[in-house]
Amino acid sequence: MNLLAISINHHTAPVSLREAVHLSTEETRVFIDELKEKYFSEGFIISTCNRTELYGIPKEAGTSYLELEKFLVEKKAITNLTDEHFQKFFACSALNHLFKVIAGIDSMLIGDNQILGQVKESFQLAQEKQFAGFLVNRVFDSAIRVGKRAKTETTISDGAITVSYAAVQLIEKIFSNLSKKSALVIGMGETGKIAAQHLHDKHIGKLSITNRTIEKAEQIATEIDAQILPFERFKEHLADFDIIISATSSPNLILTKEEIKTMMKKRGNTATVLMDIALPRDIDPEARNIDNVFYNDIDSLNIIVEHNMKKRKDEIPKVQNIIMEELINFFGWYNSLEVAPTIKSLRDYYEEIRLAEVEGYKNKFTKEDQEKLELVTKRIINKLLHHPTTELRKVAEQGTNSTETATKIALVRDLFGIDNNNNFKE
Amino acid sequence: MKNAVDVSNILLPLFYLASFAIYLYDFQRDERRLSNIKRLFLFLTLVFHTFYLIARTVAFNHPPITNVFEIFTVLAFSVSFSYFILELVTDIRGTGLFIIVISLIFQVISSIFIVDLFEVKEVLRSNLLGIHVLHALLGYAGITISAVYGFLYLMLYKDLKLNKFGLIFERLPNLEILEKLSFYSAIIGFVLLSVAIAIGVIWLPRAFPNFSYFDPKLVATFLVWLLYGIGITAKITGKLQGKKVVIFSIVGFGLAIFSTIVTNFLAKSFHTFY
Repeated sequence: MNLLAISINHHTAPVSLREAVHLSTEETRVFIDELKEKYFSEGFIISTCNRTELYGIPKEAGTSYLELEKFLVEKKAITNLTDEHFQKFFACSALNHLFKVIAGIDSMLIGDNQILGQVKESFQLAQEKQFAGFLVNRVFDSAIRVGKRAKTETTISDGAITVSYAAVQLIEKIFSNLSKKSALVIGMGETGKIAAQHLHDKHIGKLSITNRTIEKAEQIATEIDAQILPFERFKEHLADFDIIISATSSPNLILTKEEIKTMMKKRGNTATVLMDIALPRDIDPEARNIDNVFYNDIDSLNIIVEHNMKKRKDEIPKVQNIIMEELINFFGWYNSLEVAPTIKSLRDYYEEIRLAEVEGYKNKFTKEDQEKLELVTKRIINKLLHHPTTELRKVAEQGTNSTETATKIALVRDLFGIDNNNNFKE
Repeated sequence: MKNAVDVSNILLPLFYLASFAIYLYDFQRDERRLSNIKRLFLFLTLVFHTFYLIARTVAFNHPPITNVFEIFTVLAFSVSFSYFILELVTDIRGTGLFIIVISLIFQVISSIFIVDLFEVKEVLRSNLLGIHVLHALLGYAGITISAVYGFLYLMLYKDLKLNKFGLIFERLPNLEILEKLSFYSAIIGFVLLSVAIAIGVIWLPRAFPNFSYFDPKLVATFLVWLLYGIGITAKITGKLQGKKVVIFSIVGFGLAIFSTIVTNFLAKSFHTFY
């Protein structure tokens, strides 16, 4: 299979170059048109914040990686992008790379949850632009199966691997039903916003946010369906919340131990989670000594992140086994494409010989015997071809050794001169 | 039948040991394929234990409640059976080893020291006594499980406070669920103990001429029952919650064990049969 692929990704290029080469959906459409015209009979493009990859079946045998790299560099007008920034793949290695990408083991955050959806969108775009042909569609099916199996059969995507998500994971270890809980997020910087978004995604019962700049809070509140508390007065409402996440850029503490003690008294000492994901810290760490207060800062959340990351890395061999199984399945199918025409050609070849011989000697038999001759010669041919035919089918169907299949097909075609139409006439 | 009882008496601790080992292995490794296998194995252990209890009843012509080590095997069964039902209802599968280990201990002690009595006091052949004891033991199983979940709550609470994110953090359900499991087990235990006490109050005066409402065992059992009653009412009315609920359960369990030891082995009671 002559699948060709080039990739620029987080292994090969810094973020500035990855950003520069990134293709929007509209750009991808234009690129597909040009690739179809110049280089590939079918293919697809994957472009995310961490990678841009071109895959395709070349129209001509001589198509090189350098041509594709040059095409990308010129189209995006990037001067400092060189050959070193690209990974290149061909045939089995291209498919192997695609499977690794979709399974999330080639991602910057191993087990990335978004990559399966992003690759699916790339496939859909290729199909929409009629860039996906017979072979690429089969590649899509196999790749999506790899992605789904990696998710369901391994724990490659389990556990939080970002600080803000680890905070939510920790909260879920204390409360069983977040829809009955209330949360306050203080500070709407990037971290605070992501934490609020996670709580919203977990269907928190009541979500409030507060920020020094009210305009920013208003904008985010609309997106995540949250209430806004004025920053000057949020401390008056502390006792209303089961969860408080703080992520401001304040240089000083904004919640003291005494304030938290007062809050706990008002709450009747019921369990309260304090997540301090700010640097420097917003909440007095001494608060962890108050009964029923669960205090965590970035350091403790990082312990969870690192632990989960290690567990994901430990799952990589299992994902690689899945990839290997699907590669074998794919190439089994691919080789079987060659088997069917070979068997047909082999049978046609024998049939032609049989017909020629029967025709030559036909007149030496009576009319009754001619029918018997026809029958007997056909039976001889069938018996002669039975074993090679079933063997070829078996090897292709099992798909366990693509090299063996290819070798057998090539040997049969060569021995019987199937690709040379005039062989038996000579 | 006697041979079947003897063989089962040796095999039962091994069954509990195997169940405990599978639950322990799964707790450490969290392998998805073991999730159903361990439940099936516990089920088979309980089926085997049921057979053993029936065989024992048939072989000796009395329910297995005539000596403390027969009580232990019924208690081992009650604890695991109650846990099995709880696991089926809640589908929380990560806590089994902490419960099954209790059954394992009771069963090992029972299997080693159990005595085969063909001749027992006539009163011990009473069916009503059998029902009374069964309810009492299931009730004690309930409060035992409640206390175990209480301990698990405190372990997870401590780990969360100290930012320790090991196996306890990973495998146990969250604090609110542990509190619920502890509370519901206590309610089940309380209800069953109530039934056992009610049957006892009706039946005991008829069965024993020297019956007294101030018997130490009765008084101690009533105090345990009362403590759980107060705790459950306080939780329902919102006066107790979180850590206090589980501490109440653990204290109740401690008192139950203490009173059982004192009244069974130290005090003189008409309510002592062996």
